[in-house]
Amino acid sequence: MVKIQFYSLIRLLLKQDKLELPPCENEQVGQLLQRAQQKIATPFLHKLLDDQGDLLLGTIIMVNRRNILHLQKLQTPVHDGDVVAFFPPGAGG
Amino acid sequence: MADRYKRQVALWGKESQQQLETAEVLIAGVGGLGAAVAELLTRAGVGKLTLVDNGLVDWPDLNRQLLYCEADIGRSKLQVAARQLRRINSKVKIDLLEQQINPSFICPPGISIVADCLDNYASRFHLEAALPDETYLVHGGIEGNQGQVITLQKGKSQPLADIFSGIQQPSGEIPVSGPGATTIAGYMASELINTICGKPQLLNRFLIVGLGDLHLDFLKV
Repeated sequence: MVKIQFYSLIRLLLKQDKLELPPCENEQVGQLLQRAQQKIATPFLHKLLDDQGDLLLGTIIMVNRRNILHLQKLQTPVHDGDVVAFFPPGAGG
Repeated sequence: MADRYKRQVALWGKESQQQLETAEVLIAGVGGLGAAVAELLTRAGVGKLTLVDNGLVDWPDLNRQLLYCEADIGRSKLQVAARQLRRINSKVKIDLLEQQINPSFICPPGISIVADCLDNYASRFHLEAALPDETYLVHGGIEGNQGQVITLQKGKSQPLADIFSGIQQPSGEIPVSGPGATTIAGYMASELINTICGKPQLLNRFLIVGLGDLHLDFLKV
């Protein structure tokens, strides 16, 4: 299974903190996102992606503890057992 | 005076108290998070605090920045903070660096633990870049009803700049409440004390705090 974890405002929006999906062969983060949205009643991709499908810059997405911007962005492969986390951090101080 | 630390020594012991009294901590930003962190570390008896900020006290600060009051409007935050902190605990040495944290920032020698109480990502990344290897960085952030705290060790942990890579500073003023800021600051102060005493609890692990629904989460990095 692929474990998806939602934190902070994303968790509040979705009213759930995790989701597990069976792995798909050759799947990438962008495709996993689409599949996750189909499983969840509340639309959330508009919080993560712009109209062109590019990443918005208010939420970090991590695969196995690494920011996907340091991997292959939305093309980062996702495998069985991977943990994908969505975390919009607080910017103020 | 001898009884000043009695209640906390009963909690964490004399050895930890001695570690606190010889510690030197840099607090970057003395606003909502930093003012409360500075006050708590001063009350705990941390040996030396170096405060970094270049702001002036303004009305919108007063809902949460505990060291300041109406009579301080327009004054240097650092000067007001130092005066207040010295009134609270005259044994704590307070050093002031009245400056922005930018690429030319140099971390003073002797500091092994830094509190990131800044209000923007750019300054946070400049601060982290200026730290010597093995320095502990206790980061805090808050925005609306959400906040987070994490401890990273320079050169050993993932850099904050990598973890938050690509993140964009929100435009405009960030909403923040007094209870929210002091809650995150309280977690930061606890973690700073843990770290001074050699027992960080949030090393490479975010504590994510829901300040509206009073929810806690952890995220390892």
